[in-house]
Amino acid sequence: MTNRDTESTHENSEKPRMAKRWLALFVMGGVLLVPSARAAGLGDILTLLNTITRTIQSDIGGTLGVMNTIHSSMNTLHQEFVWPVALINQAKSFVTSMHSQYGSLMSQIMFTRNNSATLVNPIQLELVFRNGQSGSLGQIQVSYANVYHAPPSPNQARPAQRNMIDMDDALAMGSLKTAVLSDQTTQTLLTLADSIEQQSATAAPGSAPILSLLAKVANLETQAYLSKMLAAELRQEAGHLAHQNALLKQSATSTQNLQNQMQQVLSHP
Amino acid sequence: MKSPSFIRIARWIRNAAAFFVAMIVVVLMLPSKARSQLGLDPCCAVIITGLTQVSNLLTSVVAKPLSAIQQFEQQALSFDQQIVYPLTAITQARGLAVQSQAQFVQMRQIFQLPVASATLANPQQLEQTLLSRNATSVPQIASRYGSVYGTVMPTTDAPQPLRDLVDMTDAEAQAAMKRAVEIDALADLEIQAAEQINQQIQTAAPGSAAILDAQTAAWLVRANAYTQSAMSELVRVRAIELANRGSQLKFSATHTTTLQTSGSSVLQGAH
Repeated sequence: MTNRDTESTHENSEKPRMAKRWLALFVMGGVLLVPSARAAGLGDILTLLNTITRTIQSDIGGTLGVMNTIHSSMNTLHQEFVWPVALINQAKSFVTSMHSQYGSLMSQIMFTRNNSATLVNPIQLELVFRNGQSGSLGQIQVSYANVYHAPPSPNQARPAQRNMIDMDDALAMGSLKTAVLSDQTTQTLLTLADSIEQQSATAAPGSAPILSLLAKVANLETQAYLSKMLAAELRQEAGHLAHQNALLKQSATSTQNLQNQMQQVLSHP
Repeated sequence: MKSPSFIRIARWIRNAAAFFVAMIVVVLMLPSKARSQLGLDPCCAVIITGLTQVSNLLTSVVAKPLSAIQQFEQQALSFDQQIVYPLTAITQARGLAVQSQAQFVQMRQIFQLPVASATLANPQQLEQTLLSRNATSVPQIASRYGSVYGTVMPTTDAPQPLRDLVDMTDAEAQAAMKRAVEIDALADLEIQAAEQINQQIQTAAPGSAAILDAQTAAWLVRANAYTQSAMSELVRVRAIELANRGSQLKFSATHTTTLQTSGSSVLQGAH
């Protein structure tokens, strides 16, 4: 083997080695270029951090600050102006004081006995229709008859008169009985009003609307019973009007009968 | 001529020189400090400084106000639970509605007790209709009224003005009786509605009570309107009664004049 041959053999084996070297140099160059790219992004990071800082400080921080102020104001508004505990307690005390001031006084006035009859039968009737006890309704008929007497028998009055008398009595007794029922209902309603007022003394602003609603329902009931009383009065007044009118009818008929009879008398001397 | 060993050595030296040159280039091109995540890099230092600032800001600008807001919320909740909407007071109010239901039922039953008192057949029938609390029985009133109080006199029995007066009076008396039946029926419906609303109160919340309150207020307006209509009927009854009295005076005046004229005629005839 000559030197030239040996040299050419070496040169041939050197070619892949050189390629490997260039590749290594390329890779190293590439690796070294990356940091420079990173160095280029540093400004961006700083900008981003600045943006985040500004957002936290102005947008989020500002909004939270405002929210904080609003919440604080709302709490102050609720606790000092809308529902101040002192005024709530004062209102409760006022309810208790009003109840004790007026409750018994009004009760005394309401339940004063107004009975005024002096004779036995009227006393009995008055006692029955003023006691406000529905259990005594059955006694009204007898007590009423003791004072105003029973309707006349068929041989004492004409059927039309008996009907009218019976109807008058029925309407009068019906009204007296309705008044007894109304009195009893009034007592129940007054008890309910007392309960609502007493409970108001321990109520809270949140439970007061429920009590107020209950009072309105009771008011509706009162209106209904007031209507029933008005209906009773209407029946009574209508009966009174019908009675007067019936008398007029009977009077006209009687006059006509009298006229006929006189004519008969005059025509037969 | 160079020996093969010399050539090999020369090549080795050449390669080594190339390697060192390359290494120097690499070393020169490398940054002076290592870029790592351990805070040795200036970039990392910048990031850390930035993040520290962000963290400080989150603590002071976000967390602190949030904590204050939470405290306010807690206070508001406590205030609402203990002062404004205490559960015990709400439960007590509902309990009173439960108690009241029994009282409402008792009152309704009391007003349903019979108050009829007539003893004769015709009055009994009329009274039964008047106390029926049933609006559908209103048409029966006219005939039953007639059987107790009679009808308008025939033309032969009374002059037309008197017949008109009697008819008007009957009409008003019957209308008042009809209105009484209707008012009774309406009052029953109001009582029924009141009991239904009260049942709702037993499970109502402070918020829903306001809605029921509005409904009850509307029912109250309605009830007042019905009461007003009953009052107007009562006013009509009394107005007709007053008109009848005036009319009787007018009739008396007319009769007196007629009697005077007739008397004069009789006296003149006698002379």
